[in-house]
Amino acid sequence: MKKQNRLGSRLLIGLMFLFLYAPILLLIVFSFNAGDSSAVWKGFSLHWYGKLFQNRLIMESVYTTLLVSLLATAIATAAGTFAAIGLYSLGRKKREALLTVNNIPMMNADIVTGVSLCLFFVAFFQGWGTFARWFNDLQSVVELPERLVLGFGTLLLAHVSFNIPYVILNVAPKLRQMDRNLMDAAQDLGCTWMQAFWKVMLPEIKPGIVSGALIAFTMSIDDFIISYFTAGSASSTLAMTIYGMTKKRVTPEINAVSTLLFLSVLVLLVLSNLKEVRAEARSRKGAAHRSTALEKLGQRIAEPRFRWVRRGTAAALACAFLFTVVVLAKETGSRPVVNVCSWGEYIDEDLITQFEDTTGIRVNYQTAESNETLYSLLKSGGADYDVVVPSDYMIGRLIQEDMLDKLDYSQIPNFSLIDDRFKHLSYDPANEYTVPYAWGTLGIIYNTAMVEEEITSWSALYDDRYAGNVLLINNSRDALGEALLYLGYSVNTTDEGEIRQAYELVADANRRGVFQGRVMDEVLQKMEGGNAAIATYYAGDYISMLENNEDLAFVIPEEGSNWFVDAMCMLKDAPHQKEAHMWMNFIASTESNLMNMDYIGYASPNREALERYPAYYEELYGEELEPEIYDIMVTPPEILERCEAYLNLPAATLNLYNTLWTQMGVN
Amino acid sequence: MKSRLSGFAVPYVVWMALMVVIPILIMVVYAFTTSEFEGTLENFAEMGVYASVFTRSFRLALIATLVCLLIGYPVSYWMAHEGPGFQRVAMALIMLPMWMNFLLRTYSWMSILENNGLLNQLFRNIGLVDVYNQIAVRFAADPALYKPTDYIPIIGTSGAVVLGMVYNYLPFMILPIYSVIVKLDHSLLEAARDLGADSRRVFRKVILPLSLPGVLSGVTMVFVPSVSTFAISRLLGGGTQLMLGDLIEQQFLGGAYNPHLGAAISMVMMVIVVVCMVVMNRFGEGEEQAVML
Repeated sequence: MKKQNRLGSRLLIGLMFLFLYAPILLLIVFSFNAGDSSAVWKGFSLHWYGKLFQNRLIMESVYTTLLVSLLATAIATAAGTFAAIGLYSLGRKKREALLTVNNIPMMNADIVTGVSLCLFFVAFFQGWGTFARWFNDLQSVVELPERLVLGFGTLLLAHVSFNIPYVILNVAPKLRQMDRNLMDAAQDLGCTWMQAFWKVMLPEIKPGIVSGALIAFTMSIDDFIISYFTAGSASSTLAMTIYGMTKKRVTPEINAVSTLLFLSVLVLLVLSNLKEVRAEARSRKGAAHRSTALEKLGQRIAEPRFRWVRRGTAAALACAFLFTVVVLAKETGSRPVVNVCSWGEYIDEDLITQFEDTTGIRVNYQTAESNETLYSLLKSGGADYDVVVPSDYMIGRLIQEDMLDKLDYSQIPNFSLIDDRFKHLSYDPANEYTVPYAWGTLGIIYNTAMVEEEITSWSALYDDRYAGNVLLINNSRDALGEALLYLGYSVNTTDEGEIRQAYELVADANRRGVFQGRVMDEVLQKMEGGNAAIATYYAGDYISMLENNEDLAFVIPEEGSNWFVDAMCMLKDAPHQKEAHMWMNFIASTESNLMNMDYIGYASPNREALERYPAYYEELYGEELEPEIYDIMVTPPEILERCEAYLNLPAATLNLYNTLWTQMGVN
Repeated sequence: MKSRLSGFAVPYVVWMALMVVIPILIMVVYAFTTSEFEGTLENFAEMGVYASVFTRSFRLALIATLVCLLIGYPVSYWMAHEGPGFQRVAMALIMLPMWMNFLLRTYSWMSILENNGLLNQLFRNIGLVDVYNQIAVRFAADPALYKPTDYIPIIGTSGAVVLGMVYNYLPFMILPIYSVIVKLDHSLLEAARDLGADSRRVFRKVILPLSLPGVLSGVTMVFVPSVSTFAISRLLGGGTQLMLGDLIEQQFLGGAYNPHLGAAISMVMMVIVVVCMVVMNRFGEGEEQAVML
């Protein structure tokens, strides 16, 4: 190659690296940001590194990730090696057929593997439940658990099953290269089979085993989609935690944890590379057999020039192992638990700590994205919750489908503090299932710096003048409800024509490019950053957006809106009923409600808390709470009159909603 | 000895049957049943509505694969011609991002591509936004109604989704191509030159055909995850442009609970991908090495 060419090519390679590293550098830079934005620099600080180690959600998911990857790697390496030995001794026909099956998990898109495993686990659990009930009825010596759910066990199984093929693909070529007579010779010379295995076979195939294990570990660490479908609710990996956060606000602690991970890998690489800068690669003879892409990757990693990869990963493995042992040692004492599923940033996390400190019960706090998502989670059998906090209409549906258990109100004395306005509502007329958590209204949030006029109607959502600047709320009930209100219909209509008309209104605006995106909690960062002009969301979240962007305004349109109550319920056959009641009672107290109201910005259903909040605010911040803000939080009765609550809809209408909603964005 | 060793294969066969074959069969059962588990083909009939999602997913994945190839091939080729030190560092740098979670890197792109993001701030400062407005007004359906913006829309477009795919899967293209090129037998190239071929001809007649297996595996490793992604389209596409992955995720854990439809879509996607792969392998069969299967 000529010199000037080389300069040009190096420049282009450099550009590619700029492309690869620009976002990573940005992440690292903003981990040192004093503010909590990922776009606005507010000065240097190490603050987020300190907070990282106190953030239980992140630390636990790092731990789950490392533990599952390590265990899966260890199991898959052992199992895969023996499977490869077994395969190798089969006839050619059989071996090739089995290797084709072995390729399936690697050829398949991750989402197909994840989905099929999820369906399989759920089907198995149902079968198991029936069997266990029958077996327990039959005898009383052994009591089998009747209810199995997705969790760490299924996550581990899934990881093992997608790791084994990689191990086999790396071990198989080494077996093929080995002289078949070696084992026989060793045994003829007096070795037992086991001795021959340890002394002859293992050393021969060791490089394949090592590179197989390393690839398996890397794949496990990096996986998101398969874990997402098989982990259920109780355990989440780092990738899942990040995915959950990207919907709301990715806290800079995530930047900090990724910077730490990145830097430790980098340091390991540099160290191991420095040692062998002068040690040149030996002959790189490639395997002569037909090899697949991944096998090649494995072989490349096994080559001498890739020693840094092996060393790096080996060191990472060692660190991960140490970390796991330490955490395991800490975790051994088992405590009573309550599993709670709520919405993102819907609780003052100090409340969780307070509850844990006073009762000794561990709170496993998870979040779902929307009522519909929660319903899917519960239905798919993926959830293991005790307490959920759905909205009114979804509670109606859950009760109707017999998915909730009645509460024992004698264990919830604080229920008496709840304002009567929020008891005996249409979704739970006899009030047997629910303890109200918060309430509020849906409205339009807009950026006064980007929208000149005052918005008073839902029509703004479908207006071409704001094309590309409107955020559509990403759940069918609210998105179509807004359109129904605009058209002058009831949000609870079951008339197919009316619903279709509302759908057309939204779908047409979507086709015209009015919507920049369909968002739920992402709305916070989008609106705060001035990246969109108009959105619809809940009053409480507006209050927290206002703290970061003073230009935002909130309005309940003249056509009326939706008002909602979110209430705590206990799922049918919840495993921790006593703890669930204690949690609900704790949350219903006036103190908890005041703290929550201040933190999440949603109105409390607790009578005292509603009255005392302005005084509480003044005491806390030393300034008066503006009455307009209080009115947005706690919608005054004259505006509430214009608002309608969602009711549970009949199955046919729900199906129509689902079908229409899936079609949205298709064209 | 043989019979004893082949016993090792038994647990593996059972495992594969349990964890690979049966789950896929269950998925197929779901695809062909209603929620009451009565046989039906309705799930497939219903899918007609989503034809555009299929075409969009395959189109975007194809574009992303092509872009990866266009960047990946020359980069791998040039890198293979650098000194060993350069190669070692470059390979390390290409693999390094893979140890950072892909969601994080994609999220970071969000803050770059937003309407108010870093890239648009840059565009505004160098006056590119004005240029964009002048061009856009000319292409607007009704120029009188066109309202100038103070940003160039990037996030929420299919361009942003393709960018996310290229960014995340580029290493999967470079690695296999590079590893094939770097192993090429140099005596072949010398022989071609000795026989009078100029460098362009050497590339076309010797290097390109010999590197084809690497290209094929690179294409597979980029295309399959691209066509089925949902996190990338969700974060960078803003959710207005559904992809197959989104559609499937919606049916299982998203807003529209219908695992039967989700299973049917997954199944169709699986079949199409497998057929594509088989066809491609036939195409590569004539070469020295077949790549997949």
